[in-house]
Amino acid sequence: MEGFIVLVILLPLAAALLTWTSASRLQGASVRISIIGGIATFGVTTLLLGLALAGKPATQVQLGTTWGILLFDPLSALMAFVVSGISLLVHVYSIRYMAEERGYARFFVLLDLMTAVLLLMVSAGDLITLLIAWHLIGVLLYFLLGHDTASQAAHRYAAWTLLTYRFGDLPLLLAAGLLYHAFGTWSLHEIFAHFTAAPDTRTLFDLPLADTVAGLVALAAFARSAQFLLHAWLPYSMSGPTPVSALMHAGIVNAGGFLINRFAPLFVTTNGVLHGIFAVGLVTAVIGSVLMLAQNDVKKALGYSTMGQMGFMIMECGVGAFSLAIYHLIAHGLFKGTLFLGAGGVIREARQDDGVPKDDLYTFVIERRPARRRQPWLVMAAITLVVPVTILILAHWVVANDFFQKQGAVVLLFFGWVTGAQLIFSTYRMRTENIWRLMGMILFSFTIVVIGYTLISHAFDVFLYPDPVFRSGIYSAAAINVFWFDALVILMTLVVVLGWLVTYYAEQNGQRWSDGFGALRRSFYRIVAREFFVMRIYERLSTVLLAVAMRLNVLLRWA
Amino acid sequence: MTSTGFLVAAVFLPLFPFSMLFNRLFGRLGNAWLRMALLLLWPQLGVLALVTPGEKPHAWLVWWAVATSGLYALRTVALKDLRLWTGYMATSAWSLLWPAAAFAPLDGSAYTLALQAAGLSAPFVLLTWISGRLDAEHGAAYAGVCGGLAVTVPRLSGLLTLAILAAVATPLVPGFFIVLATTLNALPAVPGAALLILTVWFLWAWSGVRILRGFIVGPARGAPGRDLGHASVALLGLMLVVLMLAGIGISGELS
Repeated sequence: MEGFIVLVILLPLAAALLTWTSASRLQGASVRISIIGGIATFGVTTLLLGLALAGKPATQVQLGTTWGILLFDPLSALMAFVVSGISLLVHVYSIRYMAEERGYARFFVLLDLMTAVLLLMVSAGDLITLLIAWHLIGVLLYFLLGHDTASQAAHRYAAWTLLTYRFGDLPLLLAAGLLYHAFGTWSLHEIFAHFTAAPDTRTLFDLPLADTVAGLVALAAFARSAQFLLHAWLPYSMSGPTPVSALMHAGIVNAGGFLINRFAPLFVTTNGVLHGIFAVGLVTAVIGSVLMLAQNDVKKALGYSTMGQMGFMIMECGVGAFSLAIYHLIAHGLFKGTLFLGAGGVIREARQDDGVPKDDLYTFVIERRPARRRQPWLVMAAITLVVPVTILILAHWVVANDFFQKQGAVVLLFFGWVTGAQLIFSTYRMRTENIWRLMGMILFSFTIVVIGYTLISHAFDVFLYPDPVFRSGIYSAAAINVFWFDALVILMTLVVVLGWLVTYYAEQNGQRWSDGFGALRRSFYRIVAREFFVMRIYERLSTVLLAVAMRLNVLLRWA
Repeated sequence: MTSTGFLVAAVFLPLFPFSMLFNRLFGRLGNAWLRMALLLLWPQLGVLALVTPGEKPHAWLVWWAVATSGLYALRTVALKDLRLWTGYMATSAWSLLWPAAAFAPLDGSAYTLALQAAGLSAPFVLLTWISGRLDAEHGAAYAGVCGGLAVTVPRLSGLLTLAILAAVATPLVPGFFIVLATTLNALPAVPGAALLILTVWFLWAWSGVRILRGFIVGPARGAPGRDLGHASVALLGLMLVVLMLAGIGISGELS
């Protein structure tokens, strides 16, 4: 058992070493070693996940005297399986995709090293090992994104990524320092045991240790998962090779959700930190989605889409749905990875199709057919509001009929309702021959998705956190005062309904209404188009620092 | 005796403005081997001077050292000359031996400090060897002159990359564990100093990535140089592995 845990890290490392040393002799064929290593790693992680699912108790291997602990528990087994699976897909995809690129073998060596470090991160059982893996991910990602050494742009944005990641390393390091000084151990297992025994431990400046460390861990997670103000690197990192984008969006950027889950026993003892996490996630989800809608570059839009998704994942942690965040990061990893790896095919198809939308004007002028009539607005609005909430409540009721007692579940339900309503409303706005058929198919898929999501998330909950007391403890740590909770839910409902009414009014009054808000809309669009000036502020800051450094050098006569 | 010891230490584990002496000397030495010897010996003299008084440095000296480290870390960001960059980075790194000595949980023995100084210096020795080679090939080890090395001399640029990564204290080289231990030891005693050390570490990363881009990225500039032979790569790679093993050895200080 212990051998398998170590093997998971050693296999990709050995593959990297053998690929590198045999590259000059075997040329392109050396990447086969990397692929074999990837398959073997995936095989071992599958076995470990099987053992975890079979109920094998958590264990750990200590390789060094003070650090070097590798964990085997449900979280590490699941994440190792996901990381190795996505890595294997990216490896296989890259065989042909990268074949014409300079540094073909180097690319696979870097992929193997990245796989090893990601696996080290998910199975780290002590703070030093975690810090090392956390740090190295940023460094390796820099070289993967900047694989094309001729491209200044790729390296420029890879550097932004590295610096954001380095910024994120620092709070984690501070958190590690505070924990070590409080408990005198690097082992996560021992630290969490100390926390359970003494949750009210104080730290520097008499601050509560749990809240301080949780805040620092959250900050590290924000930097890794591109939360607002630490997101600027993500949409610009598309200059790297497509397989790297797939790996990054599927297996690296979501490490923030993993980190928060790894420190779950710490977060369960916090007071108010999860509310802050929720707020940051919410802002990121909204801003990421708004920025995504304003992009005309597909890859950049995908980047902002990831930002929005990461916001949602962090938000799930904020409401106490930790295991749901893990499910989300896996699901997002798979669909975003698919989108990136399929981007080439989409571009090819786009070249064959003119892409002109077949709206009423098109069908009337080109196809010489009369414009289609829409269904009554009020009927559709009622369906839009009622159907999703009914499906959501029924789906959650199957899992636990007391879910209305959990605020986190209600918040997620609310988001599900808004999303579902949005989906059906979009369907209403579509021009189609048979609206009822389209609606039926969308409702069917929506039902499947919701029920599947609810059941799977429940299964994740039970698998990752089998202790029901602990599970309810996480929800309690995220709970807020009932009055404020109800008030916020009502307020948000009113905002959504008001939005609908505004849309209805705009539909009825057409151009006249939109002209009234034209200037405001254009101003808002200008701000969105400039990505809220975040990148410009950072660029300005770096320019100023460089100027100061240069002036100091001249002033001190280069000595 | 104490003041004299610390004054000598301020020259050899350079505190600003005494640091200007080292950087002036390092910049003037034309022979790369002499510069490499200087990098190895200079901080050892400083460690000797630091431990001679038999007491830990005063708090104000520690702040001065951390400020010096920050000053040179910031200044490296604007540099394109690899020789100057190496000198400034060495200054910034060695200054951190003051807080390392001051905040060490046990009475920092001369042996431990000397080992840490050697661990910090090792990547700079390698960088000096590379800059000497670039000087000979291109006339200057300057980012604007020797761009695009990854295309023309891939093995040398690979080695340069690893050396820069080691210089900016990337895991698992000794620098990583020394900076980590120093920060963690400083944290409960003087949290502000710990934060400043982390800022220095961040500036190193920024500076490292800038100088790296200047040398290895972009289309080849100038005449293609001579790349390293396989035997040299193996030998230098072995040195880096030894450096990493030394780093893991030094990590015992974290307990």
